[in-house]
Amino acid sequence: MSPRPPTLRENRRYILVRVEPAGTTIDQKELYYTISDAVTSLWGDTVAGMITQAVVAAENGHVIIRCLRGTERELAIALSTVTACRDIRLALRIVAASGTIESLRERIRAEKPVTAPDSERVTGSTGAGSAEPGECDFAEKSFLIMYCNGQKVDVIEKGFKNAHRLFLTRSDLENS
Amino acid sequence: MKITDAAVFPYPYGDTSLRRLALEAKSLGFDSLIAMDTPTGSFDGMEIFSGIHVQDAPMRDVIARVNRAKDSGTVVSVAARDNGFNRAAISLRGVHILRGIQTADKNAFDHVTAKMAADNNVAIDLDLSLLIAARGVVRQRTIHRYRDILTFERRFEFPVTLSSYARSYLDLRAVREITGFCSFIGMDISGVEKALDAVGRIMASPVSSVRVVS
Repeated sequence: MSPRPPTLRENRRYILVRVEPAGTTIDQKELYYTISDAVTSLWGDTVAGMITQAVVAAENGHVIIRCLRGTERELAIALSTVTACRDIRLALRIVAASGTIESLRERIRAEKPVTAPDSERVTGSTGAGSAEPGECDFAEKSFLIMYCNGQKVDVIEKGFKNAHRLFLTRSDLENS
Repeated sequence: MKITDAAVFPYPYGDTSLRRLALEAKSLGFDSLIAMDTPTGSFDGMEIFSGIHVQDAPMRDVIARVNRAKDSGTVVSVAARDNGFNRAAISLRGVHILRGIQTADKNAFDHVTAKMAADNNVAIDLDLSLLIAARGVVRQRTIHRYRDILTFERRFEFPVTLSSYARSYLDLRAVREITGFCSFIGMDISGVEKALDAVGRIMASPVSSVRVVS
């Protein structure tokens, strides 16, 4: 089948989405099904058929989603109803919409990178309870630091039984 | 105009500290939050209102808790129940918000209750988490109920607040996304702005119904 000439092709738009919490591993196919479910549940099959959403790329904690031009609003609203992907809690934050994937890739490159816990020492009460970098105390419990980004610190309780993630700030750790 | 999320539940109710919620809410376009059972404060330019939520308590206990919180700057909200309870709760001085109207029975909120809410400057809260996280019949019923409430709101002009009920920062949504959800329930952009700004208005001192001329 020969490709259609440009004038006969559908006009598409691409939406750049940041996946939160940082460090969430995304399976592109699973995310596609999750988004598809969200769109169908919210707008029904008729509108879902018009949006024709697809997950084009998933890189550096960001996802690029394709839709038909003119349906960005519908897709954006549906994306904000996504709360989990295969039992993993997440939120999709819309960053930008564009007509080309390349411009969105530039946006990804321009975004501030998330620092790994070992590369940036979290100060404060960590001094008392943590001999190693990447550990901290909060609410009289010990936590491992998973991600730091500016003021934001994501921690997980030490011990393999309770793998519950907490979302804190540096000030919380300093004041605890 | 102050954009406020009318209910968040920080740690220990949820997995996110109050400061982190404030930080994330600010990046999503909010100016203030009502945080349940936390002291009033301000973080990084975000104003935090202290809130209490009275639910599953007999009227006597509701009155006692409202009286304790009266004039303390705390935003007092009461969970809706049957029509009689709602009318009594709305007429209590010191109650600011009536919550959970979508889970109360069908006749829990009628034109008389709506008029009372408008007269007493008590807001009716719309829980956005049901529009976001619920699917199928639950979401459909919620949309129907909210549309019904907004019919009364247009007629009687009582305040309406919007809450995310966020227990995690992942439950927060941007103001633009909230505007999108509210379009389902027949709320336009000006209506959403008014609802997000309602907390400031309900916390302002009530205007006396009698004005002394001289």
